[in-house]
Amino acid sequence: MTDRLRRLGRRLAVAGRRVLRVAKWESARASGGVDRRTLAAGVALLLVAGGVVGVGVATGVAGLDVDQDVYRVGVDAGSPYAEAIEEEASLRPVPAETASLGDSADAVVVTVVRPGSVDDGAIDPPDVDSVVVRATDTRKGEAAAASVREAVEAHNERLLRAEPNRTAAFPVTVTLRYVGRTTGFDDGATLGGSDGSRTGDPGGGSASDGDDGGTAADGGTEGDGTETSGSGSDADSAGDSGGADSGDGSSGDASTDGESGGGSAPDSGAGGTADPGSGGGKTGSDGEGGFAIPSIGGGAFGADTTGSPASITPPFPFTSLLLAFAFLVPMNFLIQAYGSSILDERTNRRGEPLLVTPLAPAEIVAGKTLPYAAAAAVVTTLIALVIGGGPLSVVAVAPVAATFLGATFVGAMFARSFKELTFVTVGVSVLLTTYAFVPAIFTNVTPVALVSPLTLVVFDLQGEAVSAGQVLFSTAPMAVGATLLFGLGLGVYREEDMFSQKPVTRKFLDALAVRLSAVRTGGGPGGVGGALFDRERLRALGSVAFLTACTIPFVFVAELLAVAVLFALPVTVSIPVLLVTIAFIEEVAKSVALYAGFERGVFERSDRVALAVGVASGTGFFLAEKATAVVQAVGLTELFLGRAAFADVAGLSGLPPIALVALFFAPLVLHVTATSAASLGARRGRTAYALTLTLATLGHAAYNVGVVSLG
Amino acid sequence: MIEVSGLRKTYGDFAAVVDSDFSVDDGEGFGIVGPNGAGKTTTLKVIAGLVEPTDGEVTVAGFDASDPEMRRHLGFLPEDSPLYEEMTARSYLRFFADLYDVPREVADERIEAALDRLELDHRERRLGDVSKGMKRKVAIARSLVNDPDVLVYDEPASGLDPVTTNSVLAFTRELRETGKTVVFSAHNLYHVESVCDRVVVMNEGRIVARGSVDGIRERHGETTYRVFTDVEPTATPPLDDLDATPEEVGDRYRTAVPSMDAVAAVREAAADAGGEVVDIRSREPSLEDVFLDIVGRPMPGRYTGDGLDDGEVDGQEPDGPENDRSTDGAERETAATATEATE
Repeated sequence: MTDRLRRLGRRLAVAGRRVLRVAKWESARASGGVDRRTLAAGVALLLVAGGVVGVGVATGVAGLDVDQDVYRVGVDAGSPYAEAIEEEASLRPVPAETASLGDSADAVVVTVVRPGSVDDGAIDPPDVDSVVVRATDTRKGEAAAASVREAVEAHNERLLRAEPNRTAAFPVTVTLRYVGRTTGFDDGATLGGSDGSRTGDPGGGSASDGDDGGTAADGGTEGDGTETSGSGSDADSAGDSGGADSGDGSSGDASTDGESGGGSAPDSGAGGTADPGSGGGKTGSDGEGGFAIPSIGGGAFGADTTGSPASITPPFPFTSLLLAFAFLVPMNFLIQAYGSSILDERTNRRGEPLLVTPLAPAEIVAGKTLPYAAAAAVVTTLIALVIGGGPLSVVAVAPVAATFLGATFVGAMFARSFKELTFVTVGVSVLLTTYAFVPAIFTNVTPVALVSPLTLVVFDLQGEAVSAGQVLFSTAPMAVGATLLFGLGLGVYREEDMFSQKPVTRKFLDALAVRLSAVRTGGGPGGVGGALFDRERLRALGSVAFLTACTIPFVFVAELLAVAVLFALPVTVSIPVLLVTIAFIEEVAKSVALYAGFERGVFERSDRVALAVGVASGTGFFLAEKATAVVQAVGLTELFLGRAAFADVAGLSGLPPIALVALFFAPLVLHVTATSAASLGARRGRTAYALTLTLATLGHAAYNVGVVSLG
Repeated sequence: MIEVSGLRKTYGDFAAVVDSDFSVDDGEGFGIVGPNGAGKTTTLKVIAGLVEPTDGEVTVAGFDASDPEMRRHLGFLPEDSPLYEEMTARSYLRFFADLYDVPREVADERIEAALDRLELDHRERRLGDVSKGMKRKVAIARSLVNDPDVLVYDEPASGLDPVTTNSVLAFTRELRETGKTVVFSAHNLYHVESVCDRVVVMNEGRIVARGSVDGIRERHGETTYRVFTDVEPTATPPLDDLDATPEEVGDRYRTAVPSMDAVAAVREAAADAGGEVVDIRSREPSLEDVFLDIVGRPMPGRYTGDGLDDGEVDGQEPDGPENDRSTDGAERETAATATEATE
């Protein structure tokens, strides 16, 4: 045992040394492949880009805004709004007495004082009767008036925040609690359900009431001074936004209250002093437990939990999302270089001599990949440091980078020319960027967002804690998928495939077939007519089961993507499409390797062999599918769509044990039956395979409908 | 050193090599000749462990051909010499020496020795900027960085100019003389003859002839002599028996005969006509001749040039470069004076 471990250690050390050697030379080659002019141009481009960003940052820091002094506004130095206008960079105050509308001023602030109240020459707030902003009847005049209005609002907000007496500044405290979309099939018009309409979530209700209070306070403040657009409309809009926040996108109580409360702020405010829990219900974050929706309005969102409703931003992690996207940008450049390097080995058989060295293909590929993986790690770490991400961001991006490289490797192994490689890399880039970015948009809305590791980055940037289960759920499929992609590509990293001009589909089948062992009728090795537990026979069928099991991460990713894509559609449309799509994905995953086996002559074309490999494949898929129980850990199956995609007998606790056992094994029967049917077609040829695959898909979809109905 | 037994390699329905058996002794030069698509390259790739045989066994230096350890004993030169063009010759060779775990000092010594012998200049120039012949030499040097026991060379002189061809063949001969086993493929017998003791002739995946080059020539081809006279030789019984009909070529007459005895007969006939022999040329059987004799039809892709004057055949050589013409037995004509012919 010790000797064996020692030998293994030595072998690994040798392999590691070889990988490092190839990596070293690959780095030298890659750097040698870029001529000095290109390098200089790249550096210059980076410097220019960096300079632009630097100048932008510097001007921002120094207050050198590009929109400085755009509008001239006439205002008395003694006016209470003079300070607000002076603080706004885009406004340039000019003395009101010399200001002439349309000539020396775009807008004029006219302060109407009560008669006899300014005997001392200074205009105190109590002296003000009203303030009127007059602007030229031009677009610029309208814009100037709007800017004045915004400047005053911002000024008031600042004054309130600076007020030591918080109660006086914000007499109504609003606590917002966002509820995750975890409702079922019958509770909403969209796949995630709609909180506002049916559940009438108490948390949402309380928030909206509170918003009204906030609106009242805010509206009152604004309404005091300006008459340009009316305090009512301001209050309305504020109330709307607050309502929208609280209702989580619904058109529930909040909006309605906000609208009605706009005109009579004090009343509404008085009536809105509700405790979030006063409704008697539990809030989403308290009650659901599984998926912790972050508190909205954290620092990363640019708003505090305290403030007027206008300062509360909706649950869209815009800034974090943009910053998270920065991680994906370098990947696109990296895969171009990596894909070119791999294809370069294949062009004109340049890599043939490497195959004659004592190195294994895996060592060559690892060595060639290592510099790019290292570059990805370095760049990711640097970006994380710059944008304020932590180790979680790096851990989350690592599988994304690995998948970018893995998919590019496979693409470069399958592509026949650099032209094809271009399509491959663009395809990889678009697909993976979509997969990583789009779900992350819903970071604060639904657990579906955790499909993408980028969501973890967003959480990290927001300072939110995530559970190990969430990290596993987000990263494992891509990490395993990347590993399998490399495995798939390695299958054709051999002379016979590397330098041939086979179509992509044939190479794909080759890559699958090379992982299979021969299965034939009769006794002997790999024969299905011999002893039941013949070792060779089990090994051959085991390779079938294992290969099918390896497709699980891709199936998982494809199904998650389908869920994410169909998430926003009405249930009536998305559910049927999803059920069929998922059935198709799984049936293809289970049978395509069998088709490859028959096409490449690994399997003997007989019904007996077809059934044997069909059963093996279905069983392998069933076992691997059970490993996806991780979805339960993050509460995805509580989503109706998640249940349709991933749950089988979840939520059937009321049934007797025998029924539960039967239902537990029902998917096994399904997979074995459907795959055997497809296998029988695959052994007869392409057309028969297409036909049986369709039948298997329909049967599988019908089963899915049954599961959804039971659930 | 090399044992090939029952080798079969198929690609789908296409059989690239069928039932191939041969063995190569330690230190022997062994040639595989045949037209394009004969299965030469596939055979060599199976020996090099690049291609997995569909059936049969191949061992090299006591290792199965698929054993990675075998590759430490092997130097392989593929038909083409695509190199990493952004690297220099020296760095490229060091890279491969590194992969074979050759210590740096030893590697440098071997590399410099090989490059010196191959007269390769511009060792620090990027390989993308050097000539085809230079690249070939670098590729040959690469096959030697691990000091292998077995050299498997696929068309080592293919596509090179005559000078480089001779240089490469001479170097290969030297390698053999140092005790290395050399297996190499070629399109023409001359290349093989200069390096190898034994050859196999392949056609459509099968070995159709085997033996020494001379033996194959003797069995499957004939040396012919063309005798040029200044007058038309008189028809004499010996010439009539040989069915040797003089042809008028310019201001001379040419008579093709199969032996030196027949040359003497032509000489006598010319003297009878009042003239003399002015030139004699011998023509050895080419691979095409051998192939035609064995298979009963011309080599695929080759034009035998029926109706053309001897020495002008082989108008089409899809992969037989122009220098072949100067060295292949089909075109190699040895000028001999009348005196030499009579000796």
